[in-house]
Amino acid sequence: MKNRLKVLRAERDWSQADLAERLEISRQSVNAIETGKYDPSLPLAFRIADLFALKIEEIFLRA
Amino acid sequence: MSLQTNEDVKEPNPRRYHALYWGIAFFIGMFSMPAIGRYFQWGSFWTTAAMIVPMLLLIPMVKAAEKSALRQNALSQAAKNYNRRSLIWSFCYVIFLFAAVSVDQYFKLAGPVKWLVAILPALPIFFFIWAVGRYLTEEQDEYVRMRQVRHALFATGLLLCVATFWGFLESFQLVPHIPAWAAVPVWAIGLALSQVTDKVRGT
Repeated sequence: MKNRLKVLRAERDWSQADLAERLEISRQSVNAIETGKYDPSLPLAFRIADLFALKIEEIFLRA
Repeated sequence: MSLQTNEDVKEPNPRRYHALYWGIAFFIGMFSMPAIGRYFQWGSFWTTAAMIVPMLLLIPMVKAAEKSALRQNALSQAAKNYNRRSLIWSFCYVIFLFAAVSVDQYFKLAGPVKWLVAILPALPIFFFIWAVGRYLTEEQDEYVRMRQVRHALFATGLLLCVATFWGFLESFQLVPHIPAWAAVPVWAIGLALSQVTDKVRGT
């Protein structure tokens, strides 16, 4: 699944570590999600959406 | 706005493989010590006692792995707990095995006491199995947890393949018998192999 996480993070000038800290996950998890190696669970997807004040479908896109 | 942050660039990290090197040294030590013992005719008592030497390599291996994980912001409390528990069961295993072999050898045990002594080295292995389960319960990072589950599945698959392969060879009397307790070391090797593969791939 494609996502806009990297763009959204860059818009806020956050590093992967910054985002990981805000989401309370590891940096490797952020990297895996950004690069499409891992699709987050629904609860984590909601946390990401809440953090960016967006809807899930505005961040995660159908491949 | 810059899409490329410093994390996106892979920085050369000369310490990245330190834990791997310690791990390789540990496995070489564990496999070569029985051969050295046989060569110098130390007997089972001193050979088992000498196993403590490669076991000590686990300490720098765990420390190096923790430092590496810390640099990647990937060292959770669950991982720390698992590492401590791993060191505990590993050392207990060697000590209990040494104690069981020694007591049996010198006191020529029989009856219920022999049963109790024989089960002694199995107790740390039960603790190891519990520690793996506990880690999967405690780990809060779902991606890290998923990877650990994947490693465990790989290890289980490898164990089933090795057991089936060896079992048939044994049935046709082509290879010697291997005791059933070898299942856990084979599983642990599978776990380590899967983790190392991930590490080398950088995933």
